[in-house]
Amino acid sequence: MRYAMSRKMPTLGQWLAGLCLFLTAWLHGVAVQAADILLTGAEESPGVQSFVQALSELRPTDRVHFQPLASLPAPGKLPSSLRLILLDLPSLDWRMQESQGPATLVLRISRLQARQRFGDAQPPHLSLLWADPPLSRQLQLIRRILPQAGRVGVLFDQHSEFLLKELQSAAQPLNLQIVPQRWDNTHDSRPLQTVLKNSDVLLGLDDPDLYNPKTAKNLLLSSYSRQLALVGPNVAFVRAGSLASTYSDQNDWLAVLDELLDRPPATWPRTLYPGRFKVSSNAQVARSLGIEPMNEASVAAELAEGERRP
Amino acid sequence: MFSGPPSPRSSLLLALLFSPVLLADDLFVDSEALPQILTATRLKQSPAEVPGSMTVLDSELIAASGARDISELLRLVPGMMVGNISGNQAAVNYHGTNATEARRMQVLIDGRSVYRAGLATVDWSDIPVAMEDIERIEVFRGPNTVSYGANALMAVVNIITRNPADTHGTRLKLTRGQRGINDFYASQSNGWNGGDLRLSLSGQEDDGFDSDRTGADYRDSRRLNRFSLAVSQTLSDNQSLDWQINAKDGANQRPYTYRPVFSGITAAGNNSDVVAKDYAGSVRWNLDLNPDHSLYVQGSAQHWDRQQTWRACDAEVSFSPQLTELWQLNPNYTERLARNMTLFTGPGAPAGTPQEMALANQVLDQWRNGARQTLCGDIDQSARESRYDLELQDTLSLSDSLRLVSGLNYRYDRADSETYFNGTLDDTTWRAFGQLEWRASEHWLLQGGAMFEDTQLIGSSLTPRFAVNYLFNPRHSLRAVYSEAIRSPDMFENNVNWSYQVTNLRPAAYGQSSARYFVKTRGPGDLDQEHMRSRELGYNGFFPEWGLALDVKLFYDEITGMISEPLRNNQYIASNANDSRFRGTETQLDWRLSAADRLRLTYAFVDAEASNPLDQQFTARNSGSAGWLRDWGHGWNSALFYYGDNALNGYRFERVDTRIAKRIALGKAQLQLAGVLQQRLDHEPTTFVDNNYDERRVVYFSAELEF
Repeated sequence: MRYAMSRKMPTLGQWLAGLCLFLTAWLHGVAVQAADILLTGAEESPGVQSFVQALSELRPTDRVHFQPLASLPAPGKLPSSLRLILLDLPSLDWRMQESQGPATLVLRISRLQARQRFGDAQPPHLSLLWADPPLSRQLQLIRRILPQAGRVGVLFDQHSEFLLKELQSAAQPLNLQIVPQRWDNTHDSRPLQTVLKNSDVLLGLDDPDLYNPKTAKNLLLSSYSRQLALVGPNVAFVRAGSLASTYSDQNDWLAVLDELLDRPPATWPRTLYPGRFKVSSNAQVARSLGIEPMNEASVAAELAEGERRP
Repeated sequence: MFSGPPSPRSSLLLALLFSPVLLADDLFVDSEALPQILTATRLKQSPAEVPGSMTVLDSELIAASGARDISELLRLVPGMMVGNISGNQAAVNYHGTNATEARRMQVLIDGRSVYRAGLATVDWSDIPVAMEDIERIEVFRGPNTVSYGANALMAVVNIITRNPADTHGTRLKLTRGQRGINDFYASQSNGWNGGDLRLSLSGQEDDGFDSDRTGADYRDSRRLNRFSLAVSQTLSDNQSLDWQINAKDGANQRPYTYRPVFSGITAAGNNSDVVAKDYAGSVRWNLDLNPDHSLYVQGSAQHWDRQQTWRACDAEVSFSPQLTELWQLNPNYTERLARNMTLFTGPGAPAGTPQEMALANQVLDQWRNGARQTLCGDIDQSARESRYDLELQDTLSLSDSLRLVSGLNYRYDRADSETYFNGTLDDTTWRAFGQLEWRASEHWLLQGGAMFEDTQLIGSSLTPRFAVNYLFNPRHSLRAVYSEAIRSPDMFENNVNWSYQVTNLRPAAYGQSSARYFVKTRGPGDLDQEHMRSRELGYNGFFPEWGLALDVKLFYDEITGMISEPLRNNQYIASNANDSRFRGTETQLDWRLSAADRLRLTYAFVDAEASNPLDQQFTARNSGSAGWLRDWGHGWNSALFYYGDNALNGYRFERVDTRIAKRIALGKAQLQLAGVLQQRLDHEPTTFVDNNYDERRVVYFSAELEF
């Protein structure tokens, strides 16, 4: 009859332990709620595939998958618990059809492209993650690698004009003077000559009307012949002959996304420049201009440090 | 608390960070492929890496100087001795040597050599390029045959014109001032998808110097017009074509300098003006085989046409065949006889060999029988020279620290002159050159090269150059350079066949209306090359915090086998018997004091020693320039320059130039008004005793419209 007394009442300690276990499991479950992450784009290139693969490896508890744009229904029909990541402009245009829909992160969009679509407005439910380097960061880069440069020449046209104000205010605390020059017709090189005459360095804005494979030769050769460096507009130009640029590659973006996806979508910022970035420089051009060769990693680290502690 | 097994997330992230990223697969990087534009072969050396001393006159400096001639601009180069033979003939030499024939310097326009094919001088007034079309002038101070061929014995002046892509629009300019200054310039430049073009027309006019040593009017004014068409085309992603056509036509007044040999002649001509025409065309094909290998092929054709006819008067006996024969036997005896004919008319021929005296007596007979009468006729001293040049230059970047520049050159020179060559003379030159740049370490740069040249008329030669640059950092360096150079004697020095055929003789000479003057000069035909050995130690530094660029050099140059005899039609016995030595120091400082001010100083101390005093005279021991450029804002800018040398051909030269300009925006166009004042501080003639101005000051204004 003594065996009948095997089932005891749990003690208070055991109760608390159990409660803790339950709570943490529940919280953990909430935190590591298996999110449904959908990436979409017009085409599934090898670059897209490797990115999706890397992201799914990064977030094993989430369901990460890619669906081509053509196969998706209207955005309003998608479950609102979905985390949507757009990889190109056609997918953005699709998403803009309806205002309701899942929380969306937009990658590979530049300031210019956003302005052309949204103007000054900031659409809700969208987080624009800028692909072009932040202007203040590029100016900081100029400050660091060309300490003697005082006048920063900037070419713009009607599409990139809106960035000037931001640029001026970013330049002021750095003691840099922005020399803006409108360049509406890239076949006429007079504005280019004018800005080169009045600047110590040229900063490229990510405006494909002005900085593209057709204008690259004229820009780089003209600035080089005057011993002026071009900084930016993006890392592709560094290989062509720009002195340097900051940029964020796939790994940087993965880290940024990882951090965002950990947070509830309600806390996602409307616009964001990636906090993680690298510096790319052209050592041969630096040498020819008489500039000390730079250690890209340490310059990037210094710039990042400066951003953390402004 | 409860903590689950370590999340596989963080370790994966780490793994991703440290794994090599294939950029081709990176979605965020390099979505559009841009070709490499500033390739290893296109990137030039920074100033600290140059194996020698380089002076660059940039367009800001050129405009601020207010100079109307390229020769005047060269006053800004330390060690350059700039003077005048006459108002329309400048004489420019680096360090010195014979004043009237500045033939030891290579002058190029966009890589095309412009010294004359036959006479190896540079006619600075006749170069078919307008000042307003010049982008910059690069002067390599020192021998550089390795890169630029023979004749680059002492320095190389490379005039680089503006790329048509950089000059879009229309430009009109007028300059007027004292001394008959009347210049104009007009250009139109357009671009299209794949090319750019510039057409420019220009002209210059001025009175030259005012009076000669006697106070009489000096006949040395000039008038010229130029035409230039420059086109640059992109043929494909890696090929481009640059071509240009230049022409210049004008007249240069020359004073009448012929003095009759025989006494009692009073008739004379009154000028020996030259109509000078220069034509040039060049085509350059650039090919980028890959980012590490590029080459170009340049072909050019040039023609110099100098028409010079002048009236000469002398006694009929000048055309005596006996006198001509006597001159061939003994020029000294003949000259003594000719200049003192009246003294020997009575007593007979002066003492000499029987053959000489026999001829002399025949001549004296002719004189007594009427050959003393004055004859006047025309002398055609015209010359037409041509040059055809083909060059291939290859730049190969063998590795990040090794670069090879090599090339081949073929040149054909031809000179046609009745007076100087009694017909036509031509020469062919083959040249092969190579230079290797080796970045031995971050601090050591070694450069070595050589040129091999083979000339049909002279022979072959090999000249080397070695340079070591020690770079403290990319901006400061010390350099040590040893280079050799050669100069082949030009066709005139070596092969001249100088005689005057006088036509339209009135009255006839011995029954002929066309006869040959008795004086004949022949070049030796066996002259050797001049040889230069140059040693240089230098420092080049750029201080970015002050905006200061500094270059200092110490040099020791020796020239042996020099052909120093002056080229004149009287007892010209050229030889390689002379030598000279130049040593000293040169400094160059370019300082941007602030965003608005620029200060530029040059100074040269040159100690010249030459076996032939003529080669020593054209060296000023102390020479230099100082310039202050300032941008006052609101479109106003000014420039103040001082040029000085203590003695060039014995005459001191000091001048202060100032230029004040105002830029006015007229809608989309821009108008620039400028005034230039040049004030001489000394009272001496310029380089030669006949070069005198009535007033020491000259003022001229210009108005330029750009739209």
